Amino acid sequence: MSSQTTKLKVDPRDGKLAMAHFYVAFIALALGGLMGLLQTLVRSGKFELPWGIDYYQVLTVHGVLMGLVLTTFFIMGFQYAAISRTAGTHSPAARRIGWIGFWVMTIGTIMAATMVLLKEASVLYTFYAPLKAHWIFYLGMTFVVVGSWLDGAAQIMTYARWRKENPGKPSPLLSFMAIINTVMWIVATLGVASTVLFQLLPWSLGLVDTVDVLVSRTLFWYFGHPLVYFWLLPAYMCWYAIIPKIIGGKIFSDSLARLSFILFLLFSIPVGFHHQLTEPGIDPAWKFLQVVLTFMVIIPSLMTAFSLFATFERYGRSKGATGLFGWFKVLPWKDARFTVPFIGMASFIPAGAGGIINASNQMNQVVHNTIWVTGHFHLTAATSVVLTFFGITFWLVPHLTGRKLTKAMNKLAIIQGWVWFIGMAFMSGAMHFQGLLGGPRRSAFSTYGDSAQAAEWIPYQIAQAVGGSILFLGIILMLIIFVNLAFFAPKGEEEFPVGEAENLEEKAPMIFENWKLWLGITALLILFAYTIPFIDIIQNAPPGSPGFKTWGSW
Amino acid sequence: MAKAELKTNKKTEIEDSSSLKGTLASVFFLGIFLVVTWVSVYFLFLDRF
Ligand code: HEM
Ligand SMILES: [Cu+2]
Repeated sequence: MSSQTTKLKVDPRDGKLAMAHFYVAFIALALGGLMGLLQTLVRSGKFELPWGIDYYQVLTVHGVLMGLVLTTFFIMGFQYAAISRTAGTHSPAARRIGWIGFWVMTIGTIMAATMVLLKEASVLYTFYAPLKAHWIFYLGMTFVVVGSWLDGAAQIMTYARWRKENPGKPSPLLSFMAIINTVMWIVATLGVASTVLFQLLPWSLGLVDTVDVLVSRTLFWYFGHPLVYFWLLPAYMCWYAIIPKIIGGKIFSDSLARLSFILFLLFSIPVGFHHQLTEPGIDPAWKFLQVVLTFMVIIPSLMTAFSLFATFERYGRSKGATGLFGWFKVLPWKDARFTVPFIGMASFIPAGAGGIINASNQMNQVVHNTIWVTGHFHLTAATSVVLTFFGITFWLVPHLTGRKLTKAMNKLAIIQGWVWFIGMAFMSGAMHFQGLLGGPRRSAFSTYGDSAQAAEWIPYQIAQAVGGSILFLGIILMLIIFVNLAFFAPKGEEEFPVGEAENLEEKAPMIFENWKLWLGITALLILFAYTIPFIDIIQNAPPGSPGFKTWGSW
Repeated sequence: MAKAELKTNKKTEIEDSSSLKGTLASVFFLGIFLVVTWVSVYFLFLDRF
């Protein structure tokens, strides 16, 4: 009886809040995409920014809008809707908290964006000390984080209600996955919140003169790695639990999906040192330990790959496909809701391979701070994740606005996916190769005093500008589709697909919902990986650094 | 005639619709890809440092 709260349609009141998130996300995509295009053009050496606009200002806008705003808003909107669909309509209290969260995040975004536009905060999206931004920028970032906690609280309330009404039953898979991601996000953001509140804000307000750079970078990366999994897990939600329904197949195993999400929760956080492998001041033994923990993430990643291949093969064979790879051909390639996320999944193969290289201590020295890294996360975040988010948009936005994805839009959506793929193949491919030749990331065009090595990079930078232009076209197509689905598409019903497990007898073990256990292990792993090196970092700290402003004013 | 011949030539292997051999092959290819990319950059490292 109680589980009857689950409806096939997201309640319009919940839909409105989800859509509010999506509007902000797609505005961020539009502006951020334009910045991305400008960056590639500048780096080609053929174009200079007009009106005294600074490359690093543009790059900050791009990183903040794409990496932080687009992702966080889209994810919170999607998870809020997915929980409403699978665990039942949110209560008025939860919805109110969600709205407050949305507005706090939005105000924070406006505060931070204003400071960047005023040239008071060209500190890039990682805002590393000792680069120093205006305090309003840091306060704005704090608002974004606090707002996302409120958004998360709304989701947790609805999940908790479901559990209370359905004692002894495993929660709906999509709700469970969304909650894992929210919990991971809350644990992770404690790190960035601490550096901002206790270090960067007092310092930028002038209350203290210096900042301990290594402490702040360590707290940042305690957050920074789970950040990338916070982007990825909603895409995995779609791959595991939604795509099977779209293609007309079944979820390979509900329990396997839950287990892999739990492993992501456990192993995403105690691994931040893999971003700090070249940093002095951290004992190599602890770097080694965290690299080992990093490699543990390969396990759930390969579980995911296996499970997706299996879903596809089972479906294909049920359609009569034969041979080793016959199933591949019968997948519904004409359905954008499948094809566009599929391009994302396929891109995760080179993306993951690059990730294993980045995390390997020796090879990190080959690629560290080169444009290879940028190439890597434009495959992970800007292709696998973003194309999956687009794939979700194609049905979720019309579902929420009471419209339909028309045949024409479906076609345009597929074209959009392939345009993105081609643009990214050029841009990310060229970034990878230029990186292996030593080309730096986060660098405007320079011939580096006419050095021969830098001359080798220029053809690759031109290839990136070609790719960037194609990608920008992809963004325009996506915006057309979004505006159509939100405002102009014909009225109708679009399904919110929720997959079913192949084996309905297989009930997920209740231990998966034992939050005391998983949060306990998460905390233990974090304490184990961070306590001693962190004490060491503080005790043996060099003198603090004053702030630097490496950019000019308007 | 010809038909009968075909039948006897070809082993009538009924493919089990629950077969996952394509999946097995796919994850093997994935594994090989990971190893090959890793080893190539590893040699780049050995070459340089
Ligand atoms: C039109 C599509 C895009 C283009 C042309 C583009 C281009 C670029 C370029 C050239 C850089 C590196 C510049 C440098 O290191 O000097 C960059 C950085 C970055 N991009 Fe993109 N990008 C695009 C889409 C995206 C998307 C969709 C995301 C995220 C979901 C994203 C996230 C980032 C981030 C986080 C950085 C790092 C900024 C930093 O290093 O501070 N980009 N992008
Ligand atoms: Cu990482």
